[in-house]
Amino acid sequence: MRISTSWGQQQAVDSMLDRQYQMSQTQLSLGNGKAIQTPADNPAAAARAVDTNSASAQNDQYTRNIQSATTRLSVEEQSLSSAGDILDRIRSLTLEGMNGTQTDESRQSIATELRQTLQQLVALGNTKDGQGEYIFAGNRTTTQPFTIDGLSVNYGGDQGQRMVAAAAGLQVATGDNGADVFMSIRGGNGTFVTSAGATNTGTAVVGATSVTDASAWDGGSYSITFTSATDYEIRDVNDPTNTVLSTGTYTGDTGTIAFKGAQLNLTGNPATGDTFAVGPSSSQDVFSSVAGIINAFEAPGGGAAMNNQINAQLQNLDQAATSFLDTRTKIGARMNTLDQQTQIGADVKLQYADTLSSLQDLDYASAISKFTQQQSALDAAQQSYVKMQNLSLFNYLK
Amino acid sequence: MADLLSTGVSGLLASQVGLSTVGHNISNVNTAGYTRQTTSFNARAPQYNGGYYVGQGADAVSVQRAYSQFLTQSVWSANSGQSRATQYASLTASVNNAVSGSANLQTALDGFFGAVSDLANAPVDTASRQALIGKASTLVSTFRSLSSQFQQIDQQTNQEISNSVDSINSLARSIADLNGQIQKAYAGGAAPNDLLDARDQAISQLSQVVGVNVTQGSDHMVTVSVGNGQPLVNGTDATKLSTAANPYDSSRMEVVGPGGSVISGQLGSGSLGATFDFRTNVLDPARNQLGRSAIALTDAFNKQHAQGIDLNGDAGGDFFTIGDPAVFNNTGNTGNAQVTATVTDVGKLGSADYIMRYNGTGWSVTTSAGVTVPSTGTGAAGDPILIDGLAISVPSGTPQAGDSFQIQPTRNAASTMSVAVSDTNKIAASGPLAATKASGNTGKAILGALTVTNVADPAFSTPANIVFTSPTTYTINGGAPQTYADGDTITGNGWTLKLSGVPAANDTFTVKPAGSASGDNGNALALANVANKGVLDNGVTTVGKSYSQLIAQVGTAGAQANTALDAQQSILDQAMASQQSLSGVNMDEEAANLLRFQQAYAASAQVINAANTIFDSLMTAVRG
Repeated sequence: MRISTSWGQQQAVDSMLDRQYQMSQTQLSLGNGKAIQTPADNPAAAARAVDTNSASAQNDQYTRNIQSATTRLSVEEQSLSSAGDILDRIRSLTLEGMNGTQTDESRQSIATELRQTLQQLVALGNTKDGQGEYIFAGNRTTTQPFTIDGLSVNYGGDQGQRMVAAAAGLQVATGDNGADVFMSIRGGNGTFVTSAGATNTGTAVVGATSVTDASAWDGGSYSITFTSATDYEIRDVNDPTNTVLSTGTYTGDTGTIAFKGAQLNLTGNPATGDTFAVGPSSSQDVFSSVAGIINAFEAPGGGAAMNNQINAQLQNLDQAATSFLDTRTKIGARMNTLDQQTQIGADVKLQYADTLSSLQDLDYASAISKFTQQQSALDAAQQSYVKMQNLSLFNYLK
Repeated sequence: MADLLSTGVSGLLASQVGLSTVGHNISNVNTAGYTRQTTSFNARAPQYNGGYYVGQGADAVSVQRAYSQFLTQSVWSANSGQSRATQYASLTASVNNAVSGSANLQTALDGFFGAVSDLANAPVDTASRQALIGKASTLVSTFRSLSSQFQQIDQQTNQEISNSVDSINSLARSIADLNGQIQKAYAGGAAPNDLLDARDQAISQLSQVVGVNVTQGSDHMVTVSVGNGQPLVNGTDATKLSTAANPYDSSRMEVVGPGGSVISGQLGSGSLGATFDFRTNVLDPARNQLGRSAIALTDAFNKQHAQGIDLNGDAGGDFFTIGDPAVFNNTGNTGNAQVTATVTDVGKLGSADYIMRYNGTGWSVTTSAGVTVPSTGTGAAGDPILIDGLAISVPSGTPQAGDSFQIQPTRNAASTMSVAVSDTNKIAASGPLAATKASGNTGKAILGALTVTNVADPAFSTPANIVFTSPTTYTINGGAPQTYADGDTITGNGWTLKLSGVPAANDTFTVKPAGSASGDNGNALALANVANKGVLDNGVTTVGKSYSQLIAQVGTAGAQANTALDAQQSILDQAMASQQSLSGVNMDEEAANLLRFQQAYAASAQVINAANTIFDSLMTAVRG
């Protein structure tokens, strides 16, 4: 076959250019470490890399969300732990004040200290998170939730709860509103409350109360009236006929009164005509419980009336302590969830990085060996071209 | 006796012609389109010398091209294919470079939705709100920058089209001129080899721009037609093609034949055909897909934004704005109807463009590719024509039969996108409602999720008091009693509230507007989740996915173009190798021929010398 001299040369030059281009492509990849320079190099991998990058970015965002939520929850946990300590302090001060050896003056000084602790409790309710938002204000995070006026504390927040996206489809609460934690605390023993009649003259004091049979307790309001120092009658307050439901006897210094699954422990001796009321628990805020204790201490006289009031409030304080503890348990559970999610996020991040690397990162070993191959191919093309060019019949025509 | 001298001279002359041809071949070894020439010789008619014939030497009778019509035609055809593939690959590569450059939309989307999440973590923080607006601007500018890169490529195709038409016209003129010269040159009977080569070369150049069909006439002239039979050169006449703006979209250029009709779609192969193919099959779909992503993001984000309230307590306004679908009048329209189009359902929005025609009584809609689109509605006020998630109406003017309009729902959408919110207070991060449990409740029911179902409900903002008349019945604002069981969902005007636990009689729950300065992040969480929400293709495809689809689409076009280029290049190489094998100049062969004719020349000179010597011998003998 004839070879056209100029076409043959062109072909040789083309093949050198082609090899040079391939080498420059490999060199480009070696330079920036990417296996895909444009989507045309590998359309499916390029599209998957975009998706994976996006998923990875979202995963990183979830990790950041979790960090911010953890910070907020830690602040809340810390304030509730302090609030629990304050309740303990209030309790010991109260027990100290109830001691029979105290005088009106010494009770007054305990009340003064209790006023301090009430302020501290309010300050804890107004704790802010790292971004300056009130954590116990529900969604009114820019409004101070608790304001104190004398002994009465008002809640200005709402009942919203902030959530954080911790993973696709997983939202975790990053706070609890002050209404749930501090304000809506069930009074008494959580089921019913007791109170002594304002005109009682005896020394009987209601101590611990409990529910012995939850199915028998019907949530009604009842009155216990002592018809003598030892006999009492129980009536349903809402019964217009005022029928006596049951009667019983209370003898001596200590004893229990039980009816409809409720049990009251009494100490001291009632007088004829003394009354005690038993009614369903309603919401009670921790601040007014403390305020009740302060009021009881500040009222002169002490005695059974004060003890009855304070015993009821101490029960309320127990409920508040339980509420704080419950909330802290919830926080612990949330932080556990977030920790787990952080772990999962870290694992997933590695997987994404691995996938991305296999999709778009250059395999240096194979790229360098390819480069070397291409180099020798170009070298061969150049050398053979020069040899071919020297082969001309004209060289011999002298 | 025959004349030895003239026989020698004839050899001398014949060898000279041979040498000239060899010289011509050698000189043109690098001339593009040159065809190797050979000299053919004939023995002169012999002289009868009574009893025998004596030869009288040789004549050079012709100089011929080593030419095959078939091989040359196959080079032209391969040329068209290769040039088409080259142009297609190079234009497609420019789109690939645009999407693989620094303006990565996915990164911008991730950054934007990350900022939305950060807002959910700190909903009343001005810094996080400012950061969100910043990221939104980055996202919009990325959309715009990609869109403008695509627009520049579109402008570049216009330039290519215009240049190609210029070179078609000038090549057609040369071919027609050469036709005339060749016909004249043939008058002497001999083939004008170099003129034929020049004409073939012009046709070869033309075949690179546009596919050609060449017919040889009996008068040595060629007829050239391009594309689907559009005549270009006939004898010495060359038809002039021209460019004109698209009758709908004046920003794009079309090729117009001498009759004034648009022939852009009929150009077939060659670089010009590739340019149109690229525009229709790669660039427009990519631009439409990008625009569709922009519309989807705007629509989904705005809808969710409207579900929330901002720091002022107002319902969220538009977060992004984007232009309505572009509608173009055909320049040939005789009526004065104005057509407008709006996107009504992003889930059904495709990436096609549409042509709407009026036949005198009603409208019909097809895609730009000519596929009929089923539609409902008349286009009159209140009864728009509904197609593929679009509502098209003719609010004013009267159309005439034959009027048509083009609708581009998505083409330039990305370039019209902007951020509508500039005031950080106007970002609606909060849910619109707040639920409250009354503090005097004695029951154990607690609040669960409050979900907004329809902010447009007229009574949406009316505070609702849910009062339990017994543990199992409740009324809303004193309305009809409804029953409740533990864990039930209470439905109000555009919202639902889940309660759990058993309430007591007289327990009260309230749902009312959240009001200003709400630190709720409910809507911010929902906004962040727009990233994962299927928006396009009837709620299947997310905005991010629609971008990776664009990458796959553009990448596949690029990969196909590169493969086609490799294939076409090897077809051209083979065609060229065959044709050059016949017609190309081989220097070794020419060197051998040079020696051959040199030797023949020297030998002929020797013959003349012999004739001279024998004549001298005769003269010496005569002189005695």
